[in-house]
Amino acid sequence: MSLDHAAKPAVSDKPKTARLAFSQHMNEVSLFLAILVLYLIFASTAPGFISFNNQVNILRDAATIGIAAWAVTLIIIAGEIDVSVGPMVAFISVSLAFLLQWGLPTPFAFVVAIAFGAFLGAISGVLRAYFDVPSFVATLGMWSALRGTALFVTDALPVSIGRNDMLDALDRSVFGIPPAAIIMLVLFAAFAFVSRKTAFGRSVFAIGGNPHAAFLSGISVSRIRVGLFAIGGAMAAISGILLVSRLGSGNATAASGLEFDVIAAVVVGGTALSGGRGSMLGTLLGVLVITLIGNGLVLLGINPFFQQVVRGLIIVIAVLANIQAIKRSLSRNKG
Amino acid sequence: MTAVSNLAPAHAVASLRDCTRRYPGVLALDNATFAVAAGEVRALLGKNGAGKSTLIRMLTGAEIPDTGSVTIDGVELSGSGSTRAQDSFQKGVRVVYQELSLVPGMTLAENLFLGRWPRKGGVIRYADMEAQAREAMAQLGLDLPPDRLVAGLSPAERQLLEIARAMLGRPKLIILDEPTSSLAAAEADKVMAAVTRVAAQGIVVIYVSHRMNEIRQIAHSATIMRDGRIIDTVDVKGADTREIVRLMLGSEASQAAALEDRSQPGIVLEVHDLALAPKLSSVSFSLRQGEVLGIAGLLGSGRTELLQAIMGVRPFDSGDVRIGKQSVRSAGYKDMIARGFGYTPESRKEEGIVPLLGVDENTLSTNFSGVSRKGILSSRRMAEATRKIVDRLHIKTARTDTPIGTLSGGNQQKVVIGRWVYAGSRVLLLDEPTRGVDVEAKAQIYSIIRQLAAEGRSIIFVSSEIEELPLVCDRVLVLRDGTLQDEFKSPHIDQDSLMAACISGH
Repeated sequence: MSLDHAAKPAVSDKPKTARLAFSQHMNEVSLFLAILVLYLIFASTAPGFISFNNQVNILRDAATIGIAAWAVTLIIIAGEIDVSVGPMVAFISVSLAFLLQWGLPTPFAFVVAIAFGAFLGAISGVLRAYFDVPSFVATLGMWSALRGTALFVTDALPVSIGRNDMLDALDRSVFGIPPAAIIMLVLFAAFAFVSRKTAFGRSVFAIGGNPHAAFLSGISVSRIRVGLFAIGGAMAAISGILLVSRLGSGNATAASGLEFDVIAAVVVGGTALSGGRGSMLGTLLGVLVITLIGNGLVLLGINPFFQQVVRGLIIVIAVLANIQAIKRSLSRNKG
Repeated sequence: MTAVSNLAPAHAVASLRDCTRRYPGVLALDNATFAVAAGEVRALLGKNGAGKSTLIRMLTGAEIPDTGSVTIDGVELSGSGSTRAQDSFQKGVRVVYQELSLVPGMTLAENLFLGRWPRKGGVIRYADMEAQAREAMAQLGLDLPPDRLVAGLSPAERQLLEIARAMLGRPKLIILDEPTSSLAAAEADKVMAAVTRVAAQGIVVIYVSHRMNEIRQIAHSATIMRDGRIIDTVDVKGADTREIVRLMLGSEASQAAALEDRSQPGIVLEVHDLALAPKLSSVSFSLRQGEVLGIAGLLGSGRTELLQAIMGVRPFDSGDVRIGKQSVRSAGYKDMIARGFGYTPESRKEEGIVPLLGVDENTLSTNFSGVSRKGILSSRRMAEATRKIVDRLHIKTARTDTPIGTLSGGNQQKVVIGRWVYAGSRVLLLDEPTRGVDVEAKAQIYSIIRQLAAEGRSIIFVSSEIEELPLVCDRVLVLRDGTLQDEFKSPHIDQDSLMAACISGH
C-alpha cells in the first residue's frame, strides 16, 4: 500500500510540475520575447540603435533605474511601496558634493553618503513598522521633504565638486563598459542571491505573502521592514554617487520622476503590487524594457511630449499582456 | 417524525416538506420536514455539519432542494437562482449571520439603510433616514443617536443593529445564526432581550445556538438535527439538557478506548487566575510533561484568547503564567518561542500559511539558521530538513518545494504543526488543528499528536468538535462563562457529559 502511494503521485505529477515550473517562468519568458520584439522594431526603424555606442548608452541608462529597482523589488514583494527614490538620489548627490567640498576623503565621503541614505530610508521604515504609517504616505513625505531640502540649500543650482580622480574613474568605461553598468550587474547578482538564498530574502516573501503567518512563525516582521527601507535608501545613495560622477556636480533637480520609472520597471517585471510574488530576474528584464523604450523613441526622433504617451501605453500593455498570459497558464494548470 | 409532519398545517409561516439535498460525498439534508408557526420562537440545535446551515439556506432560497418543497407564507418557492432568494426575501424571510456585515466608517442610520438610502433626486434625505432609524432601533431597545459611527459600537450593539436592519420592511421570519457566540454573558443578555421584543411583535424567530440557558430563556420549542436529518422537535420546558445532548450526538456516542497515558509528573506550564476581559474571568490549570490537555468550549467561549494570552500575543489583565518557578507574564511572543513554545492559529489560511511559498519555507521559517551555512540557505539542508518533517508527519506532497497553497487543508495543517516540530518546541498550543480537514487527515493528526506527546512534548488541544477530544486527550477541561468549569480524565471522557458541560448554563 505504501508503495502504491509513493509511486502513483510521482508519475502523475511529473507533467504537472513541469507545467507549473513553466508557468512560474512564463512571465520572464514573455518579457524576454518582448525585449526581442523591441530590438527588432528599433533596429529596423531607428538609425544608430544597434551601434555599440548606443548599447553602452542603454546599459548606462539602465543602471540609473536598475540599482534602485533591485531594492524596490524587495520592498514591493514585502507588500510595501517606496516612492521617494528620485528625491533621495538628488538629495544624496547634493550631500556628497557638500561632503567633498568640505574636504572629506572621497572613499569616506562615499561611505557616509550611503550610510546617510540608509538612515533616511530607515526613517520611512520605522514609521511603517512601528507606527503603522502606510509606506506610501511615509515615503511620500520623504519624497517631498528631501526634494525640498535639496532645492532649499542649493537654490536649485548645481553644487560643483571640482576635480576628483576617483569620481572621474567611476565614469570612465572599462573595456567600453561603463562602471555604472558593472555596479548594477554586481548588485543584481547580490540581490538575486539574497532574495533566493538567505533567511532575510525568504522572510521578505513570507511577510508579503502573509504577514500574520510570518509573525506567528517567529519572523521579525518589524525589523525586516525597517531593513528593507534602509536598503532602499542605500541603493538610492549609490545611484546618487554615480550621478555625481556623471555630472561632476551634486544636483537638486536631478532624477526627477525616477521613482515612476523604477516602479514601472518592477511592475512590468511581474512583481505583484499586492506583495508576496515577484522576481529579481523579472525586474532586470523590466528595467531593460523601460530603458529600451526610452532610448528607441529618442532615436526615432519622436516628439518628446508624445514619447511620454507612447511610454505610458507600452507600460500598460506590457503589464496587461503579462497578466493575461499568467491567467491563461494558471487556468490550464487547473484543468 | 410523523408527528412533526402533521404539525405543518396551513398557518405555518415557513415549512420544508421531505427536502433532500446532496452535495458531492455528503447528504446535507435527508428527507427533512420542518415547520414554524406564527408567534413561535424555535431553537435549532445540532453539532457542526448536522445540516443547520443547509436548512437555513433552503428557507432563504439560497439553495434548491433535490427533492421536496419549501413553502413560505403559504406559497411554494418555485424560482431558481437569485429569483428564488428574492421571492423568499419578499415573502419576509431575513437572516442575520454570525459574520457581521456593517461598514464601520459609516453612521448607524447609513448602515441600517445600506444601499437603500431614502433619497430625493440622488440626494440622501438624512433627516428622514435618521428618524426612521431611530424608530427601528427603539423597537429593539437600542437607544443610540443614529448619526453615530458604527466603529464606536460594542459587539452586542452591532449585533442589535444587524437585527434592526433585518427588521426593516415588516418581515415574517427572522433567522438568527449564533447571534451571541462572540459576546460575553452580560452583553448576550441585551441581544436576548431584543429577540424577546422581536417575538412580541408576532415575528417568527428561528434561533440557532448551543447555549442551553439562552434557549430556555427565549424559545418555546427546539428542533434537533443530526447528520442532515431532523431528529426531533421537543418542548423546551419539559426537556432536560442530557436528553437534548443525547439527541444531538445520537446513540453511536460511546466512550473511547483508554489512551496510553505517557504523561510525566513534571509540570511544564502553570496558569493562575488568568483574566482577560470580557471573555476570561479566572482561568487556572497546569500542564504536565507528555500530556495532551484538551480544552473544550463553545464558539466564543474564549479558547483562542486563552492560547494567545499564554503565548504573549495578547496582553491579559491579571493573573500569571509560569514556566517552572519563573513567571513569564511579561514575556513576548518571541520569548515564548525561545522557551520552547509553539502555537498554531485557528484560521490556517489567514494566519497559518504563506500560500505561494513552498512546503520547505513554510516549515523552516521558524528557524532559517538551522538550514544555513554562514547565513546562506543551503538547498540541500533545506530539502533534508523538510523531508524529515514531511516523512514524520506523513505530509503528502510531490516535492519539498511545492507551493503549500496547492496542498489539501489537512496537509497544510500538518506543515503548520511540523514547523514547531522542526523548531524543537516542547510545548505545543494547537488551536482547532482539525478545522476544515477531511476525515482521513483528522485521524492522522490525532496519531501525530499522540506520537508527539509520547516523545515527551506537552500539548494543549483546543477543539469545538466534542467527538474528537476523547480520541486525543489525556485530560479535558471545559471552558464556560470565562472559567474552566469541569475536568474529565481519560478514559472517563464521554461525549455526552462533555457536550452537556459545554452548553449548560450557570
